[in-house]
Amino acid sequence: MREPTASPDTATLHAGELDAAITGIEGRLAAWAAETGAALAALSAKVTGTAVDKLIRPVVEELVRTPDGYAAGAGFLANAGLLGPERSYIAWWQGEELEHVDALANFSPNSISRYVKSEWFRIPVETGQAHVTGPYVDFLCTDEYVLTFTHPVFCRPDGPVVGIVGMDVTVQRLERGAMPVLRRIGERAALVNCDGRAIVSAAPDIAAGDLAAAGEGCSAYPVGRRFRIWSNATAL
Amino acid sequence: MLLTPQGASRSLAAVFTPIKSRGLVDEVCGRIEQAVETGLLTSGQRLPNETELAAALGVSAVTAREALSQLRTSGIIRTARGRSGGSFIADDVLPSRERALDQLRELTRLQISDLGLHYQAIAAACASVAARRSDAADMATLRSFIPAAEEDPLHWRLALSEFLLEVAAIARSARLARELIRLQADLGTLTLLPCADAGYRATTTGLLEDVAAAVEAHQPAAAEAAVKALVAATTDWLLNEQAKRY
Repeated sequence: MREPTASPDTATLHAGELDAAITGIEGRLAAWAAETGAALAALSAKVTGTAVDKLIRPVVEELVRTPDGYAAGAGFLANAGLLGPERSYIAWWQGEELEHVDALANFSPNSISRYVKSEWFRIPVETGQAHVTGPYVDFLCTDEYVLTFTHPVFCRPDGPVVGIVGMDVTVQRLERGAMPVLRRIGERAALVNCDGRAIVSAAPDIAAGDLAAAGEGCSAYPVGRRFRIWSNATAL
Repeated sequence: MLLTPQGASRSLAAVFTPIKSRGLVDEVCGRIEQAVETGLLTSGQRLPNETELAAALGVSAVTAREALSQLRTSGIIRTARGRSGGSFIADDVLPSRERALDQLRELTRLQISDLGLHYQAIAAACASVAARRSDAADMATLRSFIPAAEEDPLHWRLALSEFLLEVAAIARSARLARELIRLQADLGTLTLLPCADAGYRATTTGLLEDVAAAVEAHQPAAAEAAVKALVAATTDWLLNEQAKRY
């Protein structure tokens, strides 16, 4: 008879696979942020939208077109000050066709107000730390349930945040990578965010988006900076 | 990426997803019209030229040119020649009571009540799931959309649609959210009319509070009932106004 949950050692091993995948995403973003900061600092002329597009688009293309990659879309969002006092600038593309997202915003005098309150922009800018937002329904880009990983960009180590680089990962894509791991850990294993909200769940009565709690004898395994796997989740 | 802007409506955020389908010219026009309505592009503002527009939206220069021409015909943009020439957003493009009344006169009672039925069903489903899934952060955001009584009709209209969309966001269902956006687009500028009525605003404020309270207290049935009442208040008002033509 199959055990409902794997032994602690095996579970740690399995969880480690998922941790590696998420840490990989976070690490890739950190590297991209560093490269972008250096490239922006090296621009001899005034920073323009065209220059930003030229820097950012090739990396987005690589990320989004990686076979079986995690990124549904990716890009850079300039903070006020980089291109002009009140201006933001969005260089974000998504999908196989690399469609340019929210293009009209770059012609708007009000563009910075659009993003200033958004968690995926606000937190890295205010804290200088990487962040993952969601999962949430994304009305701007994908119309899907996604996680948005973002990382602040600096031109100088002691300087202000000049913008953020980021990546959208659909929960659907994450589920494909996470379910085999969760099933091996236990029938009621779930990947949850720091609020205890299920992102991917093996338990039939817990769906993505539901709030969950750690059940009896539940173990927790870290996944990336902010998530964890509960070996035995209960519905709330 | 989630857009939670000040003043710009996410309910029309479908506008900002990349263009893919046929009827490109109509879609480009629709995007620009909605960008104006949500305050992203402002009255009197200069528009990009057709090359820039084409590049930004990923369409051909021909499509961009046709779209600009169509927008000129419909009065959304005007062209000026000479040194400071170019295309500019017209000065009087925001949704107006007159246009909304025209729109109302085109509709039958059946169309309004059937749309109301559909809208109630989807909004109720969103509210029910939102009541199961809401947390403290969700509630702070939801309440931030409840407008003050003295706001002007345009702001009220936007706030109301933002509120309902936030209920869908809290529900965390992509399908329900997309359906809600579609319904709001179908309703169009009609919702501006009741928002000019102080009585309607007073009633609606109470109903918005009821929805928020039920969602916060994790009471799906109460949330459903409250949101249905909210939608019904709007369609009842419109049906009442529409009856005046007979």
